Amino acid sequence: MINKTLIQGLVILVAFFTLWFGLSRLDFVKFFEIKKHTTTAEQKIGDMIWNQIHDTETVITNDSIVKTLDKLILPICKANHIVRDSLKIHIVQKDEVNAFALPNNHLVVYTGLITDCKKQEALQGVLGHEIAHIENNHVMKKLSKEVGLSVLLSATAGDKGGAIIKEIFKTLSSTAYDRSLEKEADMQSVNYLLKANISPEPLADFMYVMAQEQKTPKALTWISTHPECEERAKYILDYLKGKKYEKKQTLTQKEWEQYKEQIKNSLKK
Amino acid sequence: MIQELAFAYKPSEHEAERASNSYLMSLVALVAGLPLPIINLIATFFFFIANRKGTYYVRWHCTQALVSQAALLCMNSCGFWWTISIIFGDEHVSNRYFAYMITAFCFNLLEFVTTIYSAVQTRKGKHVEQWFFGNLTNLICRPND
Repeated sequence: MINKTLIQGLVILVAFFTLWFGLSRLDFVKFFEIKKHTTTAEQKIGDMIWNQIHDTETVITNDSIVKTLDKLILPICKANHIVRDSLKIHIVQKDEVNAFALPNNHLVVYTGLITDCKKQEALQGVLGHEIAHIENNHVMKKLSKEVGLSVLLSATAGDKGGAIIKEIFKTLSSTAYDRSLEKEADMQSVNYLLKANISPEPLADFMYVMAQEQKTPKALTWISTHPECEERAKYILDYLKGKKYEKKQTLTQKEWEQYKEQIKNSLKK
Repeated sequence: MIQELAFAYKPSEHEAERASNSYLMSLVALVAGLPLPIINLIATFFFFIANRKGTYYVRWHCTQALVSQAALLCMNSCGFWWTISIIFGDEHVSNRYFAYMITAFCFNLLEFVTTIYSAVQTRKGKHVEQWFFGNLTNLICRPND
C-alpha cells in the first residue's frame, strides 16, 4: 500500500513538472504581447508626465546650456556603454535642488541643482544616480509598487488619466525609492564615474554638505527625498577607500563656473 | 482517477450527508477565499477537526478532502507568491510563470471536478476513493482510530 501510494504521488509530481516544462516551451510572453503592453504603458506615462511638466514649467532650450549639460553626461554614457540618445534629458528652470527620472527614459534636471553643485563631478554623480534608476528599471518598479500596476495601465486610458498622471509625477519627483534601490543607484553611479575617470568624492561631499544644510528653509528636494544622506556619503567614501582612480574634469573649472553663471543669468531674465 | 469501492459498512443517511459536506466545505471556501489559497485548507481542516470523533465513514472522507486540499495548497501558494513578487517585487512575467499558472489551473480544475463528483457520490452513500489521495487516506485513517 505504501509503495503504491508513493508511486502514485510520484506520478502526480512527474505529470505536474512535465506539463509545466512542456507549457513553458511555448512563448506566452509573445502571445500575450506582454512586452508591447508594458513598453507602451511606460512610454505613454513618461510622455504624459513630461508633457505636463512642459506645459506648466519653463523648460530651458538654450542650445549652449543644453549642450554643456550633454558634455557632462557624455563621458558617463561612453564609458558605461549607455546609448546617449536613449536618454531624454530636460533642464527645467526651477530653484529646487532636484533631479528625477521619469518612465520612458526621461531625466529632468532642475537648474537649482546645477547652480547648487560646487563641483561638476557632484552634478555628474547625481545624474549618474538618476541614469542608474533608468537603466535598472527602478522607475516602473517604484510606480508599480506605490501606485499599482492596474492604476498605471488605467492612466494611459480613460478620463481620470490626468489626475493619475499628477499623482505619479508627485510620487516620482518628491518621494524616495526603496533604500535598497537608492543604494544600488548610488553605487552604480559611483562605478559609472570611476569607469569614466571622474572622481566620485565630490558626490559624497555634496551629499554631506546638503545633509548639513537640510535644516535650512532652502528647497533641497533631492536631498530631503533621499534620506540618510550622511550615511550615503559615508558608504560612498568607504567604497572608495584604497581605490586608485584618475580624476579627469570634463569641463575646465572656468568653463564650469561660466556655465553656472550662464544658468543664473538665464534665471534672472 | 476516481474509484467507487465497497466500504466496510453501509453508511447511514446522516453519515453520508456529513461526509459529502466535507467536500462541499472545501468548494465553498475555495470560492469565498479565491485569492488566498490557504482559506480552503483552513476551512477543510476545521471541518476535519469537528468530525475527527465522527464515524469511520465521515472521518475517512473528511481526511480525503483535507489531504487533497493540502496538496493544492502547496501548488497554489507558489503561484500566489510568484504573482505577488511580480506585482510588487523584482520578478518579471515569463513563459515559465504562464506555464506554471496554466498547469496549476489544470490541476485545480481536475481537483474541483473530482471534489464535486466525490461530494455527489458520498451524498448517495457511495464510497469513492480518489487516485493517490484515497490510498494516502487509507494509510492515515484507520477504522479503529
